[in-house]
Amino acid sequence: MNILVNRQRFHIHPDWQDETLLAVLREHLGLVGTKFGCGMGQCGACTVLLDGQAQRSCLLPVSAVQNQAVETIEGLAGRDGGLHPVQQAWLDECVPQCGYCQAGQIMATVALLRQDPAPSPARVDEALAGNLCRCGTQQRIRAGVQRAVVLQRGRP
Amino acid sequence: MKRRAFLQAGGALSVAFLAGCALPVIPKRPVAGYEDALGWVRHREGRYELLLPRVEMGQNIGTALKQVACEELGIGWDQLTLRLPHTGEMARVRATVGSESVKDFALPLAQACATLREALAAGHTRGERMAEPRPMDQLRAFQPGGRHVGRAAPIEQGPAIVTGAAVYVADVRLPGLLFGRVLRAPVSAERVSTLGAMNEAAARAVKGFVALVRDERLRQASSEGVGIVARTPGALDRIEAALEARWLSQGSFGQAEIDHLVDVDRHLADGGFKYRVHEDAIDAQGPWDVDLRIDIPLAAHAPIQPRAAVAAFDAEGGLDLWVGSQDVYYQRDVVCKSLGLDEDRVRVHGSRVGGAFGGKTICTVELEAAVLAQAVRQPVKLQWTRAQEFRQGFHRPPSSHRIRVRLRDGQLDQWWHVFGSSHILFTNAGLPGWMQRLTDFVTDAGVARGAQLPYRCARKRAEFALNRLPVFTGPWRGLGAGPNGLAMESAIDECARHAGVDPLAFRLRHAEDPRLARVLRAAEARAGALPPDAPGLRRGRGVACGIYKQLSYVAVVAEVVVDARGQLRVARLVCAHDCGTVINPDQVRAQCEGNLVWGLGMALSDRLTAVDSRIGPGSFAEAPIPSLDQIPPLEVVLVEAGGAPGGAGETAIVATAAAIANAVREATGVRIQRFPIDTGLLAQTTTT
Repeated sequence: MNILVNRQRFHIHPDWQDETLLAVLREHLGLVGTKFGCGMGQCGACTVLLDGQAQRSCLLPVSAVQNQAVETIEGLAGRDGGLHPVQQAWLDECVPQCGYCQAGQIMATVALLRQDPAPSPARVDEALAGNLCRCGTQQRIRAGVQRAVVLQRGRP
Repeated sequence: MKRRAFLQAGGALSVAFLAGCALPVIPKRPVAGYEDALGWVRHREGRYELLLPRVEMGQNIGTALKQVACEELGIGWDQLTLRLPHTGEMARVRATVGSESVKDFALPLAQACATLREALAAGHTRGERMAEPRPMDQLRAFQPGGRHVGRAAPIEQGPAIVTGAAVYVADVRLPGLLFGRVLRAPVSAERVSTLGAMNEAAARAVKGFVALVRDERLRQASSEGVGIVARTPGALDRIEAALEARWLSQGSFGQAEIDHLVDVDRHLADGGFKYRVHEDAIDAQGPWDVDLRIDIPLAAHAPIQPRAAVAAFDAEGGLDLWVGSQDVYYQRDVVCKSLGLDEDRVRVHGSRVGGAFGGKTICTVELEAAVLAQAVRQPVKLQWTRAQEFRQGFHRPPSSHRIRVRLRDGQLDQWWHVFGSSHILFTNAGLPGWMQRLTDFVTDAGVARGAQLPYRCARKRAEFALNRLPVFTGPWRGLGAGPNGLAMESAIDECARHAGVDPLAFRLRHAEDPRLARVLRAAEARAGALPPDAPGLRRGRGVACGIYKQLSYVAVVAEVVVDARGQLRVARLVCAHDCGTVINPDQVRAQCEGNLVWGLGMALSDRLTAVDSRIGPGSFAEAPIPSLDQIPPLEVVLVEAGGAPGGAGETAIVATAAAIANAVREATGVRIQRFPIDTGLLAQTTTT
């Protein structure tokens, strides 16, 4: 079994083929930026992109994603280390407190902005309402999304 | 370990100093002293290193302490590296609790940095110096116009967080790492429960099965634990299902038993309030001008990171333990005692914590991981499931309040606040019943926190009763101050109404402390005029205020909108906050924003109920926390009056929920007496 993660193909050892995508990313491939929050698809900490769409990786069998492109937080920055506009926006707005949910927030935002490069505040709230944050960074997440809209403007 | 052991080998200079102050609570809280203090800041060949003596859990304390150090040393941001040490590298410090990290660590850190700076200027580059305590006004870090202090700074781990590189405990990976879980009866661990039967053969047949571990040290309170170890995380679920463990447990309870145990009117009838906050004599016979009962339920911390630990023994029997805890030294103490290991053979590695809020203060997963790793002689990672977080963790105790007030000439004259609750500092999650009873002769300061009335009143009496509950209770953001503030500020609002005085003016008239009056005025000024009513909607504004730990001050103005069906929306939250000298205004704002959201959660959603002898909810769907679409614009005004730094991590929680409830009262006429708010009470009936 193989999966494509961040433009790189990985062989999945038979011991790991019955696992969730989240468990494989974190424990088999060492991509630990994607977090376990609830294991029930209710908090969004495990959000990754599947063919560009935001998906919860905690419920998804790894065997189900063999034909899809997986993107994780580790794959966002350019190869030169340059941050993705959403990552830069998160720093500009000092969004993170504990930071644990933020990889999921960032990935959900990347997916949203690919669909809608200038989402209305209501669209942002709707798209990200399922990504929980207990620290209370919601207002800064909103600011981060709008900052990313500005940073992305004019980019290809 | 002796302090001398920390002296750096040639070419480095480090500074030792005293940090923290004593606050004896249980579980044991380490206190640092001169004799065991050590160099947190050191210099080597033009570069500086700061070993962070605090736990990072969202308050970004490393950023603030780095600002202090860079300011005092007079160096650029990039000249200093921050590092999280393990317990073998640093003498013990207190747990990271109580919004104390700037208050108790900024000053000694600056003192140490001043000593280091002067030593380097005098040409000394080796050895160790003791820091002389010197007052704030002689330290560069606290003077106005600083290069680092008093302004926003880049979050120290920001780039790591946004790239997924920040290390939380469950991110630790080791060669040969296995995965563990401890299974228990599906009832509160306060109930005696044991394994009855299980299908071990079926469990062993599951692919990835490694071991089944029966060990007395896996007991949590009265609950027997059965460990399972697997090669992959998913195999744990399959092994648990195949094992079909059947449990025997004694006794049963539901929510009614918990309600009864804290019921304030039951305690009033029994005359039993053992602990006092204010002690004036009150004429206990009616009538009263205000007589208000407020009930606030059990509530979860619900951090997004479930607690986890990684344990690995080395060939010599030494243990490395990675934790996501507010108190790395307490973890070491418990694990050393349980496993019979000497302190110098256990290295506890702290890590960035994915939300704690008082909930990651005792030892649970840490011991479970260590016992399993010892049993299988391989490294083990153990992370609680979300259901375990709700059902095996401890929670904010419920509290049941009655506040009775008499006014005279529109002024507070007699204030009598009684309440029933359960333990916070003397948590049953850490103390067996017999040991907790030994604490009965002293008050639980956590439950009492924030119950001091900050208003002029001729006679004040506040007292409470504690009952051990059949579920775990303990420290939660703000300890008792959140619930106490909610009850008290609801009652003060009713007092203002009874006196026919604007609630904010009533508070200003009675505020004893000018700093409290100042934040009230600042919140009022920022709030401005209330927007006009929209057709079909009822709009209301409420105010509340409070003082946290006699150190920091807050006033919150809330605006709510309620439709005819009772649908409630919090439309705006304004917060004025004074915590003395501010190191990083942006992060103080962030803490205020967090507390506003927590207060909103207290008002609208925080509740756990007991069902079938345990906590009912096992998921965020059953015990929701505030989501993005519920969060109104949050406005924070920092009132900087100077003086020693206070704390910001919990202050605004004392006023936010009450401000919302008072706004609901203004909008609808309904005084909320039971939380979270039941919006069914707010629907307009056809007759009104």
